[in-house]
Amino acid sequence: MGNDIMGQYIAGDSVFHKMRGSTKLICFFLILTAVILTDSAAGFFLLFMTAAGSAILAGIGLRNIGKSIARLKLFFITIFLMNLFFFSSEQAWWSFWIFHLSPAGLEQGTVVVMRVVFLLLFSRILIGTTTPAELTGGLEILLSPLGVFGISTGETAMILSVAVQFIPILSKEADQIRKAQIARGAEFEGRHFWERAKSALPVVIPVFLAAFRRADELALAMEARGYRKEKAQRKRGRISIHLCDVQAIVLSGAVCMSQILL
Amino acid sequence: MKSQLSEVKCAVLTAASIALCIVLPMAFHAIPNAGNIFLPMHIPVLLCGLVCGWQYGLLCGIAGPVLSAVLTGMPPAAVLPGMAAETAVFGIVTGIMMKMIHTKRLLPDLYISLITAILLGKVVSGAAKALLFSAGEYSMAAWVSASFVTAWPGLLLQLALIPAVTAALEKAKLIPARYPNQRGR
Repeated sequence: MGNDIMGQYIAGDSVFHKMRGSTKLICFFLILTAVILTDSAAGFFLLFMTAAGSAILAGIGLRNIGKSIARLKLFFITIFLMNLFFFSSEQAWWSFWIFHLSPAGLEQGTVVVMRVVFLLLFSRILIGTTTPAELTGGLEILLSPLGVFGISTGETAMILSVAVQFIPILSKEADQIRKAQIARGAEFEGRHFWERAKSALPVVIPVFLAAFRRADELALAMEARGYRKEKAQRKRGRISIHLCDVQAIVLSGAVCMSQILL
Repeated sequence: MKSQLSEVKCAVLTAASIALCIVLPMAFHAIPNAGNIFLPMHIPVLLCGLVCGWQYGLLCGIAGPVLSAVLTGMPPAAVLPGMAAETAVFGIVTGIMMKMIHTKRLLPDLYISLITAILLGKVVSGAAKALLFSAGEYSMAAWVSASFVTAWPGLLLQLALIPAVTAALEKAKLIPARYPNQRGR
């Protein structure tokens, strides 16, 4: 559990940095759909080109993003092996008990891992070029149709934005608690399933306490500064859309459409 | 509990619970298939519904799995709709039950709310998968296997851990006591 699970904002002056938060979110959801629909080599090549182009335009090195994603290699290997051995027993190359090594399993494992990797790549580009305030504003605009049903979109956007900001903080906190438990003699590297599972449990209650303590402090600070639910609904002027916003949405839509056609 | 918590605090606690929906499963990711067995994402949602009420529980139940899928790729897209339906029901039912049930003892309140929410969540998730998300491919045996056979350690964990976490939070005065005069819960 590193503290760089999902990346962090990197200040810059790129086209991506200048785009509206809501535009980036729309593009992200279009690309997300494209990633979910991709299952061919040509599709993954297109996604790679899109990710590489986006990273260059955003001024974030693809190598740096790749390095941080590579830290999750154990997770990728696990999901690849699970799909490889358990997905299908048809036309198996090799079978033993419940394990079946088949071409369909190999294909499924590769596709699932590639999808997760691309998902992480694009989410890092989004988080790396969008400040939490922009994300909140973007979410608020996108959620605004829900206001018709009486849902406080400002408050919902605020909750989601605070949640995103809490993730690296709580992840770091969990890591510290884990290290503290190791110092007290807890073993986290057991060889058996139950040993490893039991070792994760002593972390859970302290993590909850730490999370709720941080939330309590933040709520107190917000109340002290006069934050009220009614104020969560921001007053906005006319939403101005720039050419780069339109271009980004059209390009993301094109990537999504091409994955449907491929 | 909800009536004594301010709306700002409920909102921030919900945000923390959503964040825990992403952080907590990562502690279990190193263990193969641990997500399906220990159901770590369910714990913050259930707790959020219990502490903050059904509206916040609903938001946590939907946003937790969706945000986790977007940021970490887990749960996978195929599992996400069924799981979001299940956790949304967890959040709603725990919130409503905690508002309705008042046995004058914390533990019975918690267990009645938890067990009702877990059972209803499993039923709704199974129905959603059978009728909407995996129509024609999802059987009763698959539902029983996934919901109760594979996940029994997770269910036990939820029933053991959530009352313990709630008591710890009350003791640390991070949430108001449900029955302030009650001793030896």
